[in-house]
Amino acid sequence: MSIVPKETIEVIAQSIGITNLSPEAALMLAPDVEYRVREIMQEAIKCMRHSKRTTLTASDVDGALNLRNLEPIYGFASGGPIRFRKAIGHRDLFYTDDREVDFKDVIEAPLPKAPLDTDIVCHWLAIEGVQPAIPENAPLEVIRAPAENQIYQQKDGPLIDIRLPVKHVLSKELQLYFQKIAELTMSKSNPSLFKEALVSLASDSGLHPLVPYFTNFIADEVSRGLNDFLLLSNLMHVVRSLLQNPHIHIEPYLHQLMPSVVTCLVSRKLGNRFADNHWELRDFTANLVALICKRFGNTYITLQSRLTKTLVNALLDPKKALTQHYGAIQGLAALGHNVVRLLVLPNLEPYLSLLEPELDAEKQKNQMKSYETWRVYGALLRAAGLCIHDRLKIFPYLPSPSPSFLNKGKGKIINTEPNKRKLSVDSSSTMQVDKPMGDDNPPQNSVQPSSSGQASDGAPESRNAKEKEGSKGRAITMKAILDQVWKNDLDSGRLLVKLHQLYGDRILPFIPSTEMSLFL
Amino acid sequence: MDPEQLDEFVMGYLKKKGFNGAAKQLQDALHHNNNNNNGTGSSSSFNSTDYHNDPELTKLIRSFSQSENDPTRYRNGYSNLRSWAYNSLDLYKHELLRVMYPVFIHCYMDLVGKGHTQEARAFFNSFRKDHEMIHLRDLQKLEGVLVPSHLEEMEFARSLRQSKVNIKICQYSYDLLLQYLHRTESTLMLGIINEHINFQVYSGQPNSSSDDIDAVTIVGSFQETADHVNQKEIQWGLLEDSLEDRLEKTGSLLTDSEKGQGESKDGDVDDSNKKRSTEIGKQGSSLKKLKKDKAGNATAKVARQETSTVSPAPRVKSELALPVMSTDVEESILEDLRNRVQLSSVAMPSVSFYTFVNTHNGLNCASISHDGSLVAGGFSDSSIKVWDMAKIGQAGSGALQGESDTNDQVAGPNSRRNYTLLLGHSGPVYSATFSPPGDFVLSSSADTTIRLWSTQLNANLVCYKGHNYPVWDVQFSPFGHYFASCSHDRTARIWSMDRVQPLRIMAGHLSDVDCVQWHPNCNYIATGSSDKTVRLWDVQTGECVRIFIGHRSMVLSLAMSPDGRYMASGDEDGTIMMWDLSTARCITPLMGHNSCVWSLSYSGEGSLLASGSADCTVKLWDVTSSTKLTKAEEKNGNSNRLRSLRTFPTKSTPVHALRFSRRNLLFAAGAISKPTS
Repeated sequence: MSIVPKETIEVIAQSIGITNLSPEAALMLAPDVEYRVREIMQEAIKCMRHSKRTTLTASDVDGALNLRNLEPIYGFASGGPIRFRKAIGHRDLFYTDDREVDFKDVIEAPLPKAPLDTDIVCHWLAIEGVQPAIPENAPLEVIRAPAENQIYQQKDGPLIDIRLPVKHVLSKELQLYFQKIAELTMSKSNPSLFKEALVSLASDSGLHPLVPYFTNFIADEVSRGLNDFLLLSNLMHVVRSLLQNPHIHIEPYLHQLMPSVVTCLVSRKLGNRFADNHWELRDFTANLVALICKRFGNTYITLQSRLTKTLVNALLDPKKALTQHYGAIQGLAALGHNVVRLLVLPNLEPYLSLLEPELDAEKQKNQMKSYETWRVYGALLRAAGLCIHDRLKIFPYLPSPSPSFLNKGKGKIINTEPNKRKLSVDSSSTMQVDKPMGDDNPPQNSVQPSSSGQASDGAPESRNAKEKEGSKGRAITMKAILDQVWKNDLDSGRLLVKLHQLYGDRILPFIPSTEMSLFL
Repeated sequence: MDPEQLDEFVMGYLKKKGFNGAAKQLQDALHHNNNNNNGTGSSSSFNSTDYHNDPELTKLIRSFSQSENDPTRYRNGYSNLRSWAYNSLDLYKHELLRVMYPVFIHCYMDLVGKGHTQEARAFFNSFRKDHEMIHLRDLQKLEGVLVPSHLEEMEFARSLRQSKVNIKICQYSYDLLLQYLHRTESTLMLGIINEHINFQVYSGQPNSSSDDIDAVTIVGSFQETADHVNQKEIQWGLLEDSLEDRLEKTGSLLTDSEKGQGESKDGDVDDSNKKRSTEIGKQGSSLKKLKKDKAGNATAKVARQETSTVSPAPRVKSELALPVMSTDVEESILEDLRNRVQLSSVAMPSVSFYTFVNTHNGLNCASISHDGSLVAGGFSDSSIKVWDMAKIGQAGSGALQGESDTNDQVAGPNSRRNYTLLLGHSGPVYSATFSPPGDFVLSSSADTTIRLWSTQLNANLVCYKGHNYPVWDVQFSPFGHYFASCSHDRTARIWSMDRVQPLRIMAGHLSDVDCVQWHPNCNYIATGSSDKTVRLWDVQTGECVRIFIGHRSMVLSLAMSPDGRYMASGDEDGTIMMWDLSTARCITPLMGHNSCVWSLSYSGEGSLLASGSADCTVKLWDVTSSTKLTKAEEKNGNSNRLRSLRTFPTKSTPVHALRFSRRNLLFAAGAISKPTS
């Protein structure tokens, strides 16, 4: 009957020292207790409403008890709503977490910080009926939903609203902002200011209305300014900033943006001067493309496939310039190792054979051409190397090699890092690109043969030892894993051998020493 | 059942029900019968033998005797009636379903009253779902009633028991219902329906189910009182010789001919005022129509003039002795009025939002002065804090010259305390209000007192004691000096600043009075209550002159249109209702908010209504279109929908207070609430 069971009444009676409470009395009291509790809650809710809150707090209940001339219950007041925890094993039983506090801890604890004082901040919620997009206001998506509702309401209301064709109204401030940014992007005279503009583009919340204008601007300028390296670079930086801005929904404009971005990646010519470091721009754009794919790949399933298709086509067309090949390789490499493995490595052999004659420094008269070839070769090497490194890193570490080995391997990777970067980034001369060919990186090579020589016999042994060790605990599962690992190793092994054939020793810096010892 | 038994039972029944006279007569008759074996008894005025011969009657009596105390009868009877109603014809269904709620609650209370607590609870729970949608709050109240004594104690239950529910029902539905009850001999249900429902049968087709607001929700005896009260006349017109009038006359806003007409019209209405005829409203409206026609003919019209002529509210005399306004204050007001931005559904106001930060959940109320420069917050720690936004703006950044017409400016991050702390109350502060010039603040608190503070001296001037329970709301009159308060003690009181005793006590609400608002002409105050009604009181006589019924939960906020003709009230569920004061009818409910409407405000010329809610939005409503619509609606009988013009969501700040400044800039205030993770 009553939601207060009579047992509760009995327990409470005992707890306040009434031992001889008859069951009938408890039965009579139970409904009354429920009624009183509801009464208090009704008053407490009134107090809550008048405190302009929607969550009931302990102080509201105290207020209600005061209204009824009852003593408030002390010790439960808290600044905010009380956190209840669910009792395990009960569906609808809750309790408040009440930890025991050690007095000593309280005394020894440093004084807590004084709470911040109340203050008022003022902002425009709306200006002549339009909400300015400032950080103080709710972000855009919240605004959009009710706006649609409103239109809907108007539609079925008796008032007939003639809905004007949608007119995009830009505030004067936004127009000025756009002009300023466009000027900065075009002028290239004030790099520090441009940097700040990029920061603003990446963080300001009110820029959403400008996105179509920016995408338009970028598309226009890219198609027009392919000869202007600095402009292209600036534009790509703008794209990145826009992508970084959390308040902007750029998805609807991606289709407009992507062509320009891809252009900056695989265009035959970017900039018209020899000194223009278009390689860097391509690298930057490659990362940009990867960023876009990562962020919107889920919503646009075809995005990555279309992109890779374009890039692979560019790569496999022998008529395309080497610069275009370079861009395609960098773009594919940035998309991840799987892309490289599936799309680049199968084509590696024919491509390299194509590249081979150009690589020969003696035969190649054209300095420029030779440089470009080495560039492409370096990019390809990097892509393949990173891919194989990644593959080797994932699987064979499962039965972990001895720490010394691991450290060595790690050290190698770090060692190779600057080298790679040199390959791709450094543009000052062909000398450094020539270097790996010329004298085969003496410091690294000197380490590697020795380690490989040592470990070639030792590694299988150690692996066997590992296997034994593992079999003590979970022989079967371990075995299954190992089988898998072996299979993968075999695949990787084949790959590695092939790469080694193709690249010679140049691939070695990418290979952790343990694996090298195994396969070579 | 043989006759002897039957006699005995009838006897017992009559005695039990307290019909002692009838019992005696019956006994006499029986004696008489027995004495004169067979015969002349029939000639006596009491036909004692009738019920022996009438099989129907015998059955009826038998059914009484069988199950007088059987609690399952209620359940069966109700569930049968329910399934019948649900299976009835679609056209009449909604009318028949209206009957179910009163039957339901009275069945429940009968069961409780007879002590069948367990059955009552079971009955309640099994059918509760049917009525939750409309009557949730009542059900929550009734749910706690478990023993007969609670019925006595609880006012709500008592009033339900004593009163009848009015249900409008069409002739055919009524016949259907009666037929059903007779056919199935569900005397119990019939009894409850007879006892507690007052059918208002009308001929013709049943009403559409959408306009059932007054058909369903009224539960209580005061429907009749309300009807009676609402017959009284009220003068909702504006005060004569108001500043607006003076502005219109001096400001050369009107062309000469119009001006002349305006004056003659004023004279007209004044005359009628003196006569105190009930025609005042009609005259006003007819005048208005005349005027409007004229306005329609005149082609070269500026929007500004139009708005000033569309609603010429009749002028009335003040019944209170109003304070004299100093000339410089008057000048500044006139200046503001001259610079007022005209708002309409196409010209939206700017909204300046004051966000309280670091309130630690302690902000109970916020108030904004008439010019928007002062903001007061009442806190649960008994303190009141007043910010002078104009000063903060000067200290912080004087760079903003653009908004020179308003005093608000972005507050600079100051390290020192930049508010005035007013201490004096000994309980949570529930309300604060600024006097029109902004020189005084009144605050009301849970400590049952109202305190008057000076913003110039930053000190407490007077403590008004009179209420016996927490004072929920206090409001200065539009002209200052007088103020109204309302309290948990179910009264509203009128005070003047110079007396510590209230001038009037308005009693009549059946539950807490939660909010109070002055009529622009100062002759009336409106109060909103937890009993879900809004009442309008005459300040001079202290009488209740209007009862507005229609809300489904407690009324939290009130606003009066500047022309004095309409009133808006917002409730706990997020419904806003717009009322016509003269007819006491709801023009239209404004649906849109989904949580408590804390605050309402009309724009200066009354074309827009702003509402602030706990759902963290400020909404703007076009109220001119709604009033126009009602006229169309009266003709068409069409249900209408009000236009919500804009919704401004805040980040996560429930909107506690709203105020249109005299220049029609909208100020809003609220404390930012951290989203609970």
